[in-house]
Amino acid sequence: MDNLLSDINVLDLSQGVSGPFCAKLLAGWGADVIKVEPPYTGDPCRSSKPFFQTIDHSQASALFSYINTSKKSVTLDPFVPSHAQAIMKLAQNCDVLIESFPPGYLTACGLGYSDIADSCHDLVYVSVTPFGQTGPYSAYKGSDLIAQAAGALMYTIGLPDRPPLKVGGEAALYTTGISAFSATTMAIYVKDTQGFGQHVDISAMEVMAVSQLYSSIYAQFGRPLARRGSNLVRAKDGWVSPGLETGVQESTWLKVCELIEKPELVNDSRFITQESRRANQDALLVVISDWAVRKPKEEIYHTLQSLRTITGYVATVEDLLMSQQFVDREFFKLVGGESLPNTIQPGAPYRIADNSWEISQAPRLGEHNEEILCQGLGYSMTELGLEVS
Amino acid sequence: MSISSPKPALEGLRILDLSQVAAGPYATMFLGFMGAEVIKIESLSRMDINRGKARPGPDDLRVYPNGDPGERPWNRTAHHVHRNINKQSLTIDLATDQGRELLLDLVKVCDVLVENYRGSVMDRLGLGYDVVSSQNPQLIYLKISSQGATGPEANYGSLGSTLEQTGGLASITGYEDGLPLLTNLVYPDPVVGILSFGALMTALRSRLKTGKGCLVDLSQREVTTMLLGESILDFSVTGRIAVTMENLHRDMSPHGVYPCLGEDMWVAIAVGTEDEWRGLCMALGDLELASDNRFCDNESRHANQNELDAIIALWTIEQDHYEAMHRLQSHGVPSAPVLNGNEVITDPHLESRGFWDVVDHPETGPYKQVTTPWLLSKSPRGIPRPAPGLGEHNHQLLTELLGLSEHEIADLITNGITGEIPKE
Repeated sequence: MDNLLSDINVLDLSQGVSGPFCAKLLAGWGADVIKVEPPYTGDPCRSSKPFFQTIDHSQASALFSYINTSKKSVTLDPFVPSHAQAIMKLAQNCDVLIESFPPGYLTACGLGYSDIADSCHDLVYVSVTPFGQTGPYSAYKGSDLIAQAAGALMYTIGLPDRPPLKVGGEAALYTTGISAFSATTMAIYVKDTQGFGQHVDISAMEVMAVSQLYSSIYAQFGRPLARRGSNLVRAKDGWVSPGLETGVQESTWLKVCELIEKPELVNDSRFITQESRRANQDALLVVISDWAVRKPKEEIYHTLQSLRTITGYVATVEDLLMSQQFVDREFFKLVGGESLPNTIQPGAPYRIADNSWEISQAPRLGEHNEEILCQGLGYSMTELGLEVS
Repeated sequence: MSISSPKPALEGLRILDLSQVAAGPYATMFLGFMGAEVIKIESLSRMDINRGKARPGPDDLRVYPNGDPGERPWNRTAHHVHRNINKQSLTIDLATDQGRELLLDLVKVCDVLVENYRGSVMDRLGLGYDVVSSQNPQLIYLKISSQGATGPEANYGSLGSTLEQTGGLASITGYEDGLPLLTNLVYPDPVVGILSFGALMTALRSRLKTGKGCLVDLSQREVTTMLLGESILDFSVTGRIAVTMENLHRDMSPHGVYPCLGEDMWVAIAVGTEDEWRGLCMALGDLELASDNRFCDNESRHANQNELDAIIALWTIEQDHYEAMHRLQSHGVPSAPVLNGNEVITDPHLESRGFWDVVDHPETGPYKQVTTPWLLSKSPRGIPRPAPGLGEHNHQLLTELLGLSEHEIADLITNGITGEIPKE
């Protein structure tokens, strides 16, 4: 089937979250992705929580299952010369290679960018690391938390009297993977239009320094950002941001006063203009809170949005799966399991014409050794020192 | 193949940029960095809200250099100067017939149209995908909307701060008391901006193959929800609902930020393996810690992290946050100072990699500009061009791209369809 990237072959040597997430996005648009994992232990992400109850422990990680869909798995260790040779052969048939080793490690294995690009000048070689390929921290180790700290994202998140707080989950690592995806597709476009490949260098610290949307510019213009609380108010079953303290049109305000059954507020001088509502937003939040606490959060969300007010409600993962908007757009996909349970997963990151998002279960460790290494490259498992499991 | 002088990655691409606020402008900022020609469309009565007000009052919340709005405040707000770099500015009032015709003429000479209005706005202006693509069948139309182009909430409005909520991110961001918190940095916006760039690259590739343009439908809420993938899979199988967990981690321990010398200074530490744990004990010079039964394996460290945190903080509180990172990293422990907005622009690592561009903006003077979340070895980013003044490129674009005469341009100015001074 023809898809956006169905003519692209990817060798995914990366581990953890960021590099593999990039490869997953490429696979979703049809690229053929071979994931290379350390023999026997596999990508360490296979041992990351949260876990499902499964018979095969290497298949139990929800994180691994999410970020390795639609890939094939082979087990090779670049540090073993015969394996490095097999990796070289696979790379020579690929358009894109993704890796996440400490800078210099693959060069020591004879698999650095110039080692491969000598014979494949149009290879797109993507390195995804905590701090990038050059510079004083390039050998330093990282993580989601470390990226958010170094990139000046988390300093301004959280409450003033508490420590800086990270965005939850693996948000920084996913964003790093998304950056790698965008850079990779750009390098593929350059290959298509200008005829050469190149080395793409992705640093999680820099991805976060890009994601601190205005901390650095505010500091330079003389108004540094500080941590502050949110404007969320309690609804009957959770939290909402009614969005009334700023931005509401005059005509909308009348309707809001009716809605919350406080018609007298129309003449309240504290709230009479957009400016005064902003100036008295704490008082306004108290008024709104009295109303909101009696209503379900999604009812508040839909009611106020219908008045063209920019309202939010804090959705839990359960709420996300129930969201009629997501249901209607068929955003979530049921991914059938063979050796692991059926899962529900986020689907296409965006829609383009009639291209469809491809999503199939993450592979078992070495599931495609026979197909790719033996039938494809002509090795025997014994030759590579790999036991047939 | 060797190349003598590298060409910009996106040379020859012309972008019609109707986006405003954050997500769209960030995407087009990256396009400009990589060599595309970006034409930013605004009107005199509806500027990009990043420009603030034409005449800001004393209580205006916009940020100007040293708090001074200057003579042309709309050309010097922090948000505008920072996000609209590398663009040309053209003002057209799209609500007029004449303005709409001008835009349709521009569509014919552009490769890409980007917009991030509320879902129905372009249709209401008579500029929906069907209309613009009939003018230029090769046009790629990147529609960045809150909820996507379809569905019952297709016309809902949002900001980065509400997407954090409706996309689920707020439900897992917060201290351990369960109170959801927002990033105050509208985190979904840069993420959507970065992904939009890749979405466009795949669409351009599709156009190379098919010769036809297409609609790209990107939902900011869906992109935000992608950041919770593992928690969604977990819920779908086990019924567990992910909650806030401060700076703790499901696998790693110790994992968090620790106070350092100086006011509100912190170092982040993330220990994931036994080697890293031993490295931490070495860095602290506390070899007894390494044999302490309370912390002998990952599970015990998780169970006793409060006690462990107190021990680590006794050491960090005596350290400079940068020195702490260097010492910890020299023992193989993942760590970093928690940098603030002033520190990150002088960080020696980012400096050595040339991450920041120093841009001398005519209205603000020199400042350090965020660049791109990638470095390409043969397609370097271009020399930055400061964010344009409102309507700065009107004359050039109207004559060169649309072939208008001086007389026709003068008429447009008289009729208020274009110009350089915003209406109140």
